[in-house]
Amino acid sequence: MIEQLTAQQRKLAYLVGMVVLMLPIIVLGMPATDEADSGGMLAKLRQENDLGESTLGKVDPTSATMNLVLLGMRGVAVNLLRMQLDTQRDQKQWAQMRATTESVILLQPHYIQVWRYLGWNLAYNVSAEWDAVEDRYFWVKEGAKFLMQGAERNRLDPEVYWDTGNTLGKKIGRSDEWKQFRKFFKEDPDKERYDGGPDSEINPDRKDNYLAAKDWFLKANEKEEHHEQHIMMDCLFRSYPARSQLDYAEALQREGQFDETTRKAWDDAYHDWVDVFGQMRFQTGDCEIFMEAPASESAMEQIVSASGKDRSHVEREIDLYQNVSNYRFWRTKAHSEKQLNTTRVHSDLFEGEELFKKGDIDAAQEVLESGLGRFKIMLEAYKELGSDDSTMEEGLWGIMLWQKIYQLKNQVQPEVFPLKDLWEKELNRVPNLQQDFSRKYGSS
Amino acid sequence: MNFDAKPFLPFSNVENGLMHWLLVFGSFTGAIFAATILIALGIYGVSGPVAVMSRVRQGLHDFVNSSPKRIWAIAWLTIMEAVRRKALLVFVVFAFLMMFAGWFLDSELRADLQVKNAVSFALTTVSWLTIPVLLLLSCWGLPEDIRVRSIHTVVTKPVRRNEIVMGRILGFASIAAGIVAMMGAIGYVWILRQVPNNASLICRVPVYGTLQFLDREGNATDKGINTGDIWEFRSYIEGGTKASAAYKFPIDAPVDRIKLESRFEAFRTHKGRMGQSVLVRYVLVNSTKDLRVPLDSFEIKEFNLNEHYLERKLSFYDETRMDKRTVDLFDDVVDQNSLTIEVQCLDAGQYLGMARPDFFIRLPDRPFAVGYFKAVLGIWLLTVFIVSTGVTSSTFVKGPVATLLTFSLLIIGQGFREFMIKLITGVQKGGGPIESWYRLVTHMNDTLELPDNIGIKIMQSIDNFMLGGLWLMQHLIPDLSSFVMSPYVANGFDVPWNVAIFRSLAITIGYLVPSLLIGYYSLTLRELEAK
Repeated sequence: MIEQLTAQQRKLAYLVGMVVLMLPIIVLGMPATDEADSGGMLAKLRQENDLGESTLGKVDPTSATMNLVLLGMRGVAVNLLRMQLDTQRDQKQWAQMRATTESVILLQPHYIQVWRYLGWNLAYNVSAEWDAVEDRYFWVKEGAKFLMQGAERNRLDPEVYWDTGNTLGKKIGRSDEWKQFRKFFKEDPDKERYDGGPDSEINPDRKDNYLAAKDWFLKANEKEEHHEQHIMMDCLFRSYPARSQLDYAEALQREGQFDETTRKAWDDAYHDWVDVFGQMRFQTGDCEIFMEAPASESAMEQIVSASGKDRSHVEREIDLYQNVSNYRFWRTKAHSEKQLNTTRVHSDLFEGEELFKKGDIDAAQEVLESGLGRFKIMLEAYKELGSDDSTMEEGLWGIMLWQKIYQLKNQVQPEVFPLKDLWEKELNRVPNLQQDFSRKYGSS
Repeated sequence: MNFDAKPFLPFSNVENGLMHWLLVFGSFTGAIFAATILIALGIYGVSGPVAVMSRVRQGLHDFVNSSPKRIWAIAWLTIMEAVRRKALLVFVVFAFLMMFAGWFLDSELRADLQVKNAVSFALTTVSWLTIPVLLLLSCWGLPEDIRVRSIHTVVTKPVRRNEIVMGRILGFASIAAGIVAMMGAIGYVWILRQVPNNASLICRVPVYGTLQFLDREGNATDKGINTGDIWEFRSYIEGGTKASAAYKFPIDAPVDRIKLESRFEAFRTHKGRMGQSVLVRYVLVNSTKDLRVPLDSFEIKEFNLNEHYLERKLSFYDETRMDKRTVDLFDDVVDQNSLTIEVQCLDAGQYLGMARPDFFIRLPDRPFAVGYFKAVLGIWLLTVFIVSTGVTSSTFVKGPVATLLTFSLLIIGQGFREFMIKLITGVQKGGGPIESWYRLVTHMNDTLELPDNIGIKIMQSIDNFMLGGLWLMQHLIPDLSSFVMSPYVANGFDVPWNVAIFRSLAITIGYLVPSLLIGYYSLTLRELEAK
C-alpha cells in the first residue's frame, strides 16, 4: 500500500506518525515549570519524590552539560580530577587546586560527602599550610563559601548546612588564631576590597561568627525535619543552634567583655538551651521524650502513658539523652552565667590579671579577692559547676595569681582564703596549671 | 612546577642531545637495514639485497631532488582539504568558550591567582582545541584519499612519494600555525580583558644560582630537613640555629642595583607569634675576604614572591669589628663573578623550606606577550610533532589505527613516561604485568615477598623480557612535557629558550626526520589500490 503513495503523501504520513509518537513523550516527559502540578508524568513523579535536579537545589547548567559531554564517563573523569587534586595538594598548587575542586563539583553536584570533604579540605587543610594569619583566614572563607554553595545546590540536605555552621563557628571561633579570625569575620583583612567591613558573602548581616553559625545550624535543623542526617545523634545535631549561642556568650567573656551584651547573650543561651532545645521531641525507639520532661510531672506521666513503658525506663532514656548532650551541665552553666554575681566573678578575675600584668599588684589583689569571694558564692549556688574543668581552672588560676602577689610582696599568704576548699580539693590539677603559670609569669 | 629544569645543550649533553639522537636513530636505521637485507637475501637470493640497495639509492635520490614547488602544491592541497572538511569550525567552539569562560573562572580569588587561572585557561583551551582537530585530520587524510581513490589523481602526477608526505606535513603544520596564531592572539586579548585591575601580567627573567645547605651545626649537607612533605621538592632549615641555605649566583657585570626574589615556605612546630610570619634574613658572603654582610630581616610572604633590592653601596653593622661599615656590592661582596647569599630563619623552632628555583636574581622583565607567544609557539611545535607522527602512521595503517597510535604517543609522552621509567628501573613496586596480575588475583600487596618456586621464576623472567620491550619503547617515545609551557607564563615567568623552546624544537625535528623516512618508504611500498 505504501508503494502506491506519492512521495509527498509518504512524507505527510511520516509527519503524522511523528506527531502521534510525540504525544506520549509530551505526556510522560514534559518538563515542569514554576507552577505547581505542572509538567508531564515523570516531572510530577520527580517532584513528588524530590528526585528532580530543581527540587534538590540550585541547578548549575554547566554541571548537566558536563555530564552530557562526558557520555557516561563521569566516573573516570572524576577519578582523574581527584588524582589531579591530590597532586596539586602535594605540590602546593593552591589556585589550581581550588579550580579543580570546582571541576569535581561540576561532575558531582549532589554527592554530599564530596561537598563536605572538599569544604573541610579548603577550610582546615589548605588554610593550615599558609603562614600568614590573613592568608589562613582567606582559605577558611574559601571553605565556608564552598560549603554555602553546596548547601544552595542541595537545599534538602541538612548535612552541608551543618558543616557551614560548624566552619563559621568552630573553625573561626576555636582555632589557634581565633582572636584574629573572629575579628576578621567582622572586619575583613582585605580592607580595600571590603571597605573595612566583613566579606559580605559569608557575613552579610555583619554578625558575630557564632551567631552567623547559629543561623546555619537553625537552617540545618529545619532541613533535618524532612531529611535524615547521618553525622551524629539527633539530640546532638539539633542542639547546635543553642550550643552556638552558648559559644557566643563564652567567646565574649574570653575576649574580656563583661557588660550587658554578655549577660544578654547568656540569657538568650539559657532560653535557647532550656526553652527551645529542652522542649524538642526525640524518638528514642521506645518512646518520645524531651530533655525538660523531668521538670514537669504531667509531662512525665504523658510520656509514660504514650510509650506504654514503666516510669524508670522513661527516666533512664531521658537521663541517657541528657548525658549525651551534657544537657544538665549547660543548663546550670547558662543559668549561672546570666546572674550578675557570675558576671562579676569573671570580670574581677579578668581585671585582676590585667592589673597584675600592669604591675599594679595592690589593686590586683583587691579585685582578685573580690572575684574569689564571688566565685565561692557562685559555686555554692551551682554545685554542678564543681565538675566543670574550665570553671575549676579559672578559680585555681585566680588563686595562683593571688598567691603570686603575696610572693612578690614578700608576705605570707593568710591561712584562710575564700577558695581554700577548692584549692585543696583540686590539688591534682595544680601541677599542670602551675607549669602554664610559671611559663607566663615566671616561677616562684 | 619546576621552572628551573636542566637546560638543553644539544652538542654537549650525550644523554639528551644530538649524540643520543644519532645513537638511537642510527641503531634503529641500521637494525632495520640489516634485517631488510637479510630477509631479502633469504627470499630472493643475491638479487634481494641488490634490490634493497637500489630502493635505498632511489630514496636518497628522491629526497635530494625534492621540489619545494611540488611540496608546496601538496601542502596547499592539504590546506584546502582541511578547510573543506570544516576544520576551521574549531574557531566557533573557541569563540563560545572565550565568550563565556569568564563566568566560570573564580573572580573572588586573589588577583595573582586569577591571572594564573586565566592564562592557564587560555593556553589550555588553545591546545585542547587544536590538537584533536589536527590529530584527526593528519591521521585520516591519506587513508581517506586511498579509500576514495583520489590519491591516484596525485600519484599519477610527477610528484615523488616523499614530497607527498612532506607536503602533507607542511600543509597540516601550516593549518595548525594559522589556527594556533589566531587563537593565541584572541586568547591574548581575552587575558588582557580578564585580568583584574589590581593585578598585572608579568614576564620575569630569572637568573638561578646553585644551592648548598648547612645543617644546624653549620656543616655542609646535600639537603635540609624533610618536615613531612610528600613532595620532596623543598628542603627545610631549622630556625635559630646555624642552619642556612647558601645560594651562589653568577654575576656578569656590575649594575646599580640587583633585584632579588624569593618564594620560601614556612613550617611551624609551634604557634609562635600569631599575626607575624616567620622571620628570614639574607647574609651576603664573600668567603675570600671573610666578609659577611647581614641585611635587614623580613617576614616571609608564603606562596608569594618576596622582593628585595641590593643597592651598590651597602651599609651594615659589622659584628666582628663592632662598627658600622659601608661596602661596595661588586668590589667587596662579589667574589670571582659570583654572589653568595645565605638564607637564615631567625625564629627558633620554626623551619624555612626552599629549593634551588625558589630564590633568584630578577633581571628586567620582558613584555608579557613575549612569554605568552613563546608558549603559543610551544603548542604549535606540539601540533607539528602530532601532525608528522599522524601523517607517517597513516601511510602504513588505516585512519582509526593511526589515530590510536598517535594519540597513545601523545598521552604516554605527556603523562606516563615517568611511570614507564619507574617500571623499568624497579622503583614502581609490584613487578611486571604478569606479576601484577598474580598479585591481584592472590590478593598480595606489592610489599609482600613472592614465594620462591620455579613458577614464580618463569613468571618473573617473562616479565623481565616484557620490561625490556618497555625499555625500548621508553627510548622511542618522546618526553613531551617540555612542550607544555603554559605553567611558566601562568606563574609570571618568561619561557626560557634553552630549557623549553630548543628542547621542544629538537624533539620535533628529531622525530620529523625518521617520520619522513618511514612515511616515504611506507607510501612507496604500499598498494594504493587496496582500500
